[in-house]
Amino acid sequence: MEFLRKPNAMLGLLAVVLGILALAVWVPADTGSGLVEKARGKYRIGDALAPAVAFSLLIFSGLLLLWETRSKPAQQLITRHHLVFTGGLLLIFALSLAAMRWTGPMAVALLGAGGEGAGYRELRDTVPWKYLGFALGGSSLVGAFICLASRKLRLRFFLIGLAAALAMILLYDLPFDDLLLPPNGDV
Amino acid sequence: MSEAISYIWLGVLAVFEAPALFSLAGIGIPAPLVMLLCGLLTGIAVGATPGLAGPMAMAVSLPILISVFGVSADALLPVFAFLIGIMKGATVGGAVPAILFNTPGTPDAFMTTLDGHPMTLRGTPERALKIAHFSSVSGDTVSDIVLFVCAPFLAVMVESVLDLPEKTALIILSLSFIAAVMGASVAKGLISVSLGMVSAYVATGQGFHPRLTMGVEALSDGFPLIAAVLGVLILGEVFKSIFDMWRGIRRKRAEDHNADLAPDGLRPGDIRRILPHIGRSSLIGCMVGALPGVGSTLAATLGHSLGKRRHETRKGPTDKSFGEGIPEGIAATEAANSAVSGANLIPVLSLGIPGNAAAVFLILAADSIGGFNPGPSVFNFAAPEINPELVVAFGIFTLMALGNLLNWTIGGIFMRSMGVMARVPNRILLPVVLLVTLTAIYVQETSLAALWVAIGFGVLGFFFRVLEISVLPFVIAFILAGSLENTARQAFSASGGDPFFLFRSPVACGMLAAAVILVVLLARKK
Repeated sequence: MEFLRKPNAMLGLLAVVLGILALAVWVPADTGSGLVEKARGKYRIGDALAPAVAFSLLIFSGLLLLWETRSKPAQQLITRHHLVFTGGLLLIFALSLAAMRWTGPMAVALLGAGGEGAGYRELRDTVPWKYLGFALGGSSLVGAFICLASRKLRLRFFLIGLAAALAMILLYDLPFDDLLLPPNGDV
Repeated sequence: MSEAISYIWLGVLAVFEAPALFSLAGIGIPAPLVMLLCGLLTGIAVGATPGLAGPMAMAVSLPILISVFGVSADALLPVFAFLIGIMKGATVGGAVPAILFNTPGTPDAFMTTLDGHPMTLRGTPERALKIAHFSSVSGDTVSDIVLFVCAPFLAVMVESVLDLPEKTALIILSLSFIAAVMGASVAKGLISVSLGMVSAYVATGQGFHPRLTMGVEALSDGFPLIAAVLGVLILGEVFKSIFDMWRGIRRKRAEDHNADLAPDGLRPGDIRRILPHIGRSSLIGCMVGALPGVGSTLAATLGHSLGKRRHETRKGPTDKSFGEGIPEGIAATEAANSAVSGANLIPVLSLGIPGNAAAVFLILAADSIGGFNPGPSVFNFAAPEINPELVVAFGIFTLMALGNLLNWTIGGIFMRSMGVMARVPNRILLPVVLLVTLTAIYVQETSLAALWVAIGFGVLGFFFRVLEISVLPFVIAFILAGSLENTARQAFSASGGDPFFLFRSPVACGMLAAAVILVVLLARKK
């Protein structure tokens, strides 16, 4: 059973276990009809059949991968660097999308723009309010990823991000009235 | 026959009599022609930029195109024209960074670096670029002719021979084939297919209960197609490239070569010496391209290997070999990978099965606009009234032929001026691509939740790449899973609830047997 320590074998095993769990628990519990159902005196395929086929294929793929791995040398696939990187990129997305979502509404609330009772929703089609979130969120997203790729922290990376966000505004928002930049479709 | 000629003519007219976008010297220029040219130039620029690819440009431009042209039937040809232009341009432009800077933007362009970059180092970059352009456009033209001839015949045959059980079996065979031939492992290809199917089945189905959502309200409409596809295809690729940069993984550079003292540019006899290689590689590219999911990398590798073998048996003792910077090496590679692009549309137009990422975007465009459902039913010549889908299909063929014409004339000049694009550093370009892709998704879905779906699928695509699982089987399974389920449902109902409905037809049995044999044989071989 030494070969089960190979990363590909672990992937195969994971596929088999996930497939069995899904077939045994998830599919029966989370579908409205069985594999086959009888409606108005006729048999028809139920909603559970297609997912059951897909998970059965997953189990078969896992077993096949275990079989394929027997004779192949072990190779390192996922390292802690991949996990750290994934955590980092999710953090960048969380922060920059939060900036995208809340900068406009917070600026309107703090500056009291639009008068009594007016919120961001009323101003979301008005310059500059409608661009604030996208410009800040977009520039921080691009700038942070350039910093990550370069392994350096520089202000000009965020300025490049700002230029990219402004280019997107020029491309999508200025010429087309019916296209909404983030977050203006959500607020 | 007369119906076919009438439809070909209607297709040509649909392009040339489309509403004019603007007038030039009093003559209205039809929108599809303008968009084709714009798409071609965009595609060449994108192809010439390492780190960018045709599908990325297609993803970004789709919402803009739909916003400009709307979702009426008139929008189909201008939108397809731009996407086809990108497809063709990116194929040609990919050779630029490979030849000038030894930085292949795509895996198949790697084979072009083997002979292209040594020619640059010897001081003949223009000659190498002209050889690449001539070979690439020749391969693309041959491929388009094969598409025009084969797709309608194949579609008519499929529609007349295949009933519901056979169509179900055909989708199963296609998915097995894509899983088996893509990537280094059949098992990983099947994992990719199965996860693509599972993702597509979330919140779909016929019952009131949105299946597989685990009660999460946000999932009750399923995963948005555009977010899932762009997430896996583009965000996953961007994440992997940024990860490689973060970890300091770089490509090796070519060694210096002795300078060539002859002047740069095409030399007498160049075309004659590369023609046999173009012919052979174009045929290889067409055959490989007609098979869904196989892709241009295999075609480029096969074209280069066979060309090399042939060259070694015929060359004189003082002649250079493949890999030492000879035009034959560039021609064998470029003709093969470009000949894939047209032939790759055979399965999508005749069977409704997308064979590559570009075809996926054509399906997304058709799906967004409506009025054109790629598949065998398009080629119905016997309809009592004019079949509008068939007119669009021949309009697409006309656009492809015109795209080749533009590529032959101005494509080469524009391509050779695009060397500057390869100087944009990837560490800046890729984060910008990330923002552009997310903006394109938001513009279509108008929901931050869709961005998180795309990011989630992007992370999945990243780990697929890390684990060496091919992503295209996932995307194609995601797109075809609904058709597979619906066709199977109809076939089952039509058979009166026969559980063995797939095994009653010899054709369906043959396809299922072929799917099993393919998986077993390739699993043993790989």
